[in-house]
Amino acid sequence: MTAAAQDLEAVKMEAVYKYYGDFPALTEIDLKVAKGETVVICGPSGSGKSTLIRCINYIEKHDQGLIYVNGIQLDNQPKNFDAVRRATGMVFQNFNLFPHMTILDNCTLAPMTVNRLGKDAAKELAMHFLTKVRIPDQAGKFPGQLSGGQQQRVAIARALCMQPKIMLFDEPTSSLDPEMVKEVLETMKKLTEEGMTMICVTHEMGFAREVADRIVFMNDGRIVEQAPPADFFTQPKSERARTFLDQVIR
Amino acid sequence: MSHFSPSACVDYFFNYFLMKGVLVTIGLTAAGVAGGLVLGMAIALMRMSGNAVLHGFARAYVWFFRGTPLLIQLVVIFTGLPQLGIKFDVITCALVGLILNEAAYLAEIVRSGFMAVSPGQSEAAWALGLPKSVTFRRVTLPQAFRLMIPPLGNSVNSLLKATSLASVISVEEIMRRSDMLMQEHFQILEVYAAATAYYLILTSLWDLAQRRLEKHFGRSTAARAPRTLARAPVILEARA
Repeated sequence: MTAAAQDLEAVKMEAVYKYYGDFPALTEIDLKVAKGETVVICGPSGSGKSTLIRCINYIEKHDQGLIYVNGIQLDNQPKNFDAVRRATGMVFQNFNLFPHMTILDNCTLAPMTVNRLGKDAAKELAMHFLTKVRIPDQAGKFPGQLSGGQQQRVAIARALCMQPKIMLFDEPTSSLDPEMVKEVLETMKKLTEEGMTMICVTHEMGFAREVADRIVFMNDGRIVEQAPPADFFTQPKSERARTFLDQVIR
Repeated sequence: MSHFSPSACVDYFFNYFLMKGVLVTIGLTAAGVAGGLVLGMAIALMRMSGNAVLHGFARAYVWFFRGTPLLIQLVVIFTGLPQLGIKFDVITCALVGLILNEAAYLAEIVRSGFMAVSPGQSEAAWALGLPKSVTFRRVTLPQAFRLMIPPLGNSVNSLLKATSLASVISVEEIMRRSDMLMQEHFQILEVYAAATAYYLILTSLWDLAQRRLEKHFGRSTAARAPRTLARAPVILEARA
């Protein structure tokens, strides 16, 4: 591979395997994500979607194969996985905001301790991204005082404060009340439009169809097929994807 | 012949000699909690570490010190260890015994506190690039500590009363000094009434302090809605 091609790649996974004991959670995963691309990973429960996305920032350690993120090879060297974690932002299903800190402190903690930003600069940065997710007036509150949708938008702002190159979303709307899903999806859509590289595990097929550049369909720890949404939703190649779509789209 | 002198109770309560014993009790308790917390935290971290040797040591430690009476531990440290050439003054003996014993209980409290913090908290911190030390100090420890306060308060209450066992190795705290006064004046009920009052005052003050601590560390969750619990993910229909 040429240096130029490598430059265009945000994430590259080659023959990645991951086991929980004897259970193969990921089998022979080959995935490339280009810079600026939005990829939606979908598939039935237990198909390895979350495991895959959690391997990209080394929250889970893969057992075999190679993973490059932003050109950095992920291995057990702290120097490398720290660099990868700084280059990626992650949003979780259960928000995982720090409940004992205010919204503002949630956003400034990492910039101040990791990037050694001063208090004022960190606050300015945090307010910039809180404004972006339309929630600046809640900065002094604690996470428990916010609705689920607001908490998830704070989680997005908190991740953005580290100015990541890649955003990873692990079922960001799955624990939200239905009426709060939209505000989170719209925030995500805005990020895509600004050219952020995004990998989203989601069951929101409407979002996938509208926003994704590519759908990656997984089953039993394998990538079964990948296609642009127009093709995937209208003419899925695999039988498994067809039955899956029959279940989720009515 | 029965006689009980309420005014003597008051006299003993304000007895300067006994009051100095109260200070020793407070000192033993405070040092016991502080030392016990530091050692207990270390034992808990060993127990939670992946290292088999450290884990085994921590388990054995808790098993031994929770499984034997504090009284024996104190007596052995004070009168048994000199046989091996290890000698401390009496206050040091009491402190070593109280701290070693308290650490075993606090280690379990610390461990349960950390186990109750969701693993998602550490994951979120790592995903932000926070080093392990910052994750521990700023994210998991404060949350674990909040959960530790109620059982910790119980343990402090027990320790406060357990310091009376140090009287057996002649530490002049409330109990020992009460004994001394009693042997001098033979007003048994009056002396112990004053001592009892001091213990009640100390445990009540600690109750108040504990309540304030709980309030202080619980302030962020006071307004928390009960629905932060995760619900099962729902596969949603297409929204397009």
